[in-house]
Formats: sequence, C-alpha cells, structure tokens
Amino acid sequence: MTGNPTRSVGRRIDRLSHLRQRTRRLIVVATLVGLPAAYLWSSYWLTTSTPTILWGPVTFLLFGATLVGAFLLYGFVRRRADLPGVGLDERERQLRDRAWILAYQVLSAVVVGAIVVAGLQVFVFGNEITLDADAVNGLVLSVAVLLPLLPGAALAWIEPDAIEEA
Amino acid sequence: MARPNERVEPILHNRLAVLRAERGLSRQELADALGVNYQTIGYLERGEYNPSLELALRTAEHFGLPVEAIFSRRPFAPMSAQLYGSAPEAKAG
Repeated sequence: MTGNPTRSVGRRIDRLSHLRQRTRRLIVVATLVGLPAAYLWSSYWLTTSTPTILWGPVTFLLFGATLVGAFLLYGFVRRRADLPGVGLDERERQLRDRAWILAYQVLSAVVVGAIVVAGLQVFVFGNEITLDADAVNGLVLSVAVLLPLLPGAALAWIEPDAIEEA
Repeated sequence: MARPNERVEPILHNRLAVLRAERGLSRQELADALGVNYQTIGYLERGEYNPSLELALRTAEHFGLPVEAIFSRRPFAPMSAQLYGSAPEAKAG
C-alpha cells in the first residue's frame, strides 16, 4: 500500500509553503547562480586541461541547481508573485509589490555592475571583450530563464517565516 | 531610502489574539470571516503587519466593537489593570 498519491503530493506542496526563510534564501541563491555558473564552468573547462569526466557531473549539478531550485521556488510562491494577483489579500499584495521592487533593484544592480565591469575592462585595463556565439547563447539563455524567476525569488527571499495555524 | 524588506511603518498594537481566544475562533475561521489569508491574521497578532483602514474597520465590524478597542498606536493596558485598576506586578509586590 502506498497511500493516496494525490494526498501525498498535496502534503509535499504544503511542506514547500512552510519552508523556513533561511532555507528559501539558500534555494534562491542556488537557483540564480546555478545556470550562469554552469556556463562559466563550461567556458573555463574549454580553456583548461580539466578532465572531460568532470565536466558532465559538474555541469549537471549546476544546471540541476537552477532546475530544482526553480521548481521549489514555484512550489513555495505559486502564483503569489504574479500580476494582477487575483485572490491575494492586502498583505500578500503588499509583499508581492515589495518583491517586484527588490527584483527591479537586483536587476538594475546587475545591469549597472556588468556595464561598469565591461567599461573598466575596456577603458581602464585596455582589454578586449569578445562575445562569441557560445557566450551570447549562455547570456541570452540565462536571462531568459532567470528573469521570469526574479519576482518569485525576491518574494521567497523577503517573506517571513510562516505562522502555524491555530 | 528604505530597503523593500525593511519595516518602515510604526507598530500598531492590537487585541486580535485576545478577542479571537475570547470568541473561540481559530486563525483560519477569523481569516475566512475577514476574507484574508490565515497567515495575515498571524502577522497582525504578532504586530508584524499593520492592517489597512478598510481591514481594520472590517475587523471592528466583525467583532462588533469600535476600531479603537481593537487597534491602538499605544500598547494596550493589561486586562487585569483595566478590570481591577492595577497591574498584576503591583499586586505581586
């Protein structure tokens, strides 16, 4: 006997909605860092003599971090970070708005940071920045995957620990 | 500038937990009656969320009390002090 599978899935989803803030923050970091790190690791691997057998597991682990993290974040946030937020009460809407602001601030910081680093590389250190097809591919895919995750990740980051029902 | 996860508004004290216990309501039951998530009731009780004027009025209406009997900018006096005119620690001493 394995029990009712629907109830078991329901219990697992309920457990996700009660994740501690510290755990959620670790998941957010793993999710957002995993995919870009996988591309960086691949680029690094191409330029070194690191054994091929290492490339697969490490890449799989980093991609997996984003994939599993995204699944867990969705399980926690569900549709609470969406607009217009049908079914949310005033506190949840306020939290959602704060999450969007944080997501915007993080995105702005990343864009400005990237521009500053690129500017320093080119104008101060005199290095050239070449964007080959692989780099553009990695960049576009990372942005396409991570950008929609940002508001949910921000919500998971800021939401305080759940209060037990009583 | 305040960070998005920083609390900016002052704490609003409330008697929700006492009133809820007095009426024998669970957080879920009160939440259903007020049309909010039960977590919101928990955050209100812990003073971690200040209700909108509309929610405060709805809460007052639900309990049949004036809004200032439930929410206050200053801490509420203990029930014993209000009923008997002295705080419990005064009696203990």
